[in-house]
Amino acid sequence: MGENLLELAGVTFGFEEDAPPIVEHFDLSVQRGGFVALLGPSGCGKSTLLNMAAGLLSPWEGEVRYGGAKLAGLNRQVGYMTQGDTLLPWTTVARNIMLPLELRGTPKAERGPKLEQALALVNLGEARDKYPSELSGGMKRRALLARSLIYDPPMLLMDEPFGALDAQLREVMHKELLATVGRLGTSVLFVTHDISESILLADRILVLGGRPLRCLEEITPPWSKPRDLDAVRGSAAYLALEIRLRGLLREANDLTLAQSPKSPGKAA
Amino acid sequence: MTGKQRRYKLVTTFWQVVLIATLLALWEYASDRWVPALFVSKPSVIGATIWKWLGDGTYANNLWVTIEATLMGFVSGAVAGMLAGYATGAWRRLGDILAPLITAFYTLPRLALAPLFLLWFGIDIEFRVVFAATIVFFLVYYNTFFGVRDVSAELIAAVRIMGANRFQLAWRVILPAALVWVAAGLKISVPYALVGVVVAEMLVSNSGLGFLLASNASQFSAAGTFAAIAGLLVIALVNDWLLTLLTRRALRWKTLGLGGQ
Repeated sequence: MGENLLELAGVTFGFEEDAPPIVEHFDLSVQRGGFVALLGPSGCGKSTLLNMAAGLLSPWEGEVRYGGAKLAGLNRQVGYMTQGDTLLPWTTVARNIMLPLELRGTPKAERGPKLEQALALVNLGEARDKYPSELSGGMKRRALLARSLIYDPPMLLMDEPFGALDAQLREVMHKELLATVGRLGTSVLFVTHDISESILLADRILVLGGRPLRCLEEITPPWSKPRDLDAVRGSAAYLALEIRLRGLLREANDLTLAQSPKSPGKAA
Repeated sequence: MTGKQRRYKLVTTFWQVVLIATLLALWEYASDRWVPALFVSKPSVIGATIWKWLGDGTYANNLWVTIEATLMGFVSGAVAGMLAGYATGAWRRLGDILAPLITAFYTLPRLALAPLFLLWFGIDIEFRVVFAATIVFFLVYYNTFFGVRDVSAELIAAVRIMGANRFQLAWRVILPAALVWVAAGLKISVPYALVGVVVAEMLVSNSGLGFLLASNASQFSAAGTFAAIAGLLVIALVNDWLLTLLTRRALRWKTLGLGGQ
């Protein structure tokens, strides 16, 4: 399925100069149009990988390549969505979603149509003039998704984007996310510690753990691309995969705890 | 407002008026009967003094001097406090370097600086302005500083990836996000600016409400002292009312959607 859009080649990174690094000589790649889930216990360093891909952290060694070129500084050709509510509370949903266009100096004439598109994409047309404090948790997630997609980034970096939602709402958001990135052909790097989330969404799951971080196993779920999540959830293969991943995740967790010097360490 | 709410407010106001009228009547009655009038004067005499001062320009002149000094002290202290608070909050290294210095000046009783300021600025308005400004500065400084530091790293990262440069980040995100804190700092510091000016006027000066207060008290004129306090009360109330109005407008988005989480 085409060449790699994102590549982390032999990256090493730690938060303290004199402590052993969290990530050492680590390789990771995401193909164009691919959906890669990084599954691991909290604090293992999977967010660190994501933030290197975003250019928020620069590796001590190795390099990050995006779209074929070496990344220097921030990666502004990605959408970035995290668990927290990063909508600006003092302005409306529409203004929030258009913020990247304003910041990037997109001509005013182009902003309107793009906004309409983004609102339609996530079904938020009704809420365009509301303030974030008037939105439900799910609507906030939709607004954040629309904001990170409005400038057509070829890739989305997502760090437990639905972590704060209840199970039912999360199911809805999973369907919407898959439909959206499927339609746009967006690649996704998705950090999670939720097993079922990784099985349902990803076409490659990397189980991560240990210190320094390593990939315990790479799993390719057998489902084709436009997938029916309800059917997947009911299948025997899903159950088998869930049991297998649960075992792997437990192993990853033990590894991370055993190899950490003191506390589990800070994952940024 | 529904009829029920309006009625509730009306009844509340009624009882407030009754309470104040009763207190004044009690005061009038008690003076010279239970307490010597020399100490507490009488509302009627105080009223007469207020009336006289309104007519002969005593209020107009002294009020204006005090208001002018308060405003100047407030604005200069607040602007300096916001700038310094933003700079040290956004630029961690600078904040860490300056932290002990700022803490030292903050904990120093400001009144101890008065003789020095007097030496430098004389007894004119500059002294009062500087004195009030040093008080306002720290209140606004700390609120701005913590407001800026309080902005989540997650939000800053997201906005930078969205395309914000340093200036956009400061102007579009950090400042508005810190505004809740800054507004709180500004609101609490206005009364302190007035306190600073009045204290300075009471220490040494030849005009202003503080001067009026101190000179009447030193001449054992209880009526004059109370009349000066009445003037201060009016400034304080008008101040508070204006500020409430302004901050409510600026932070309107915060009170929207009370059902949100």
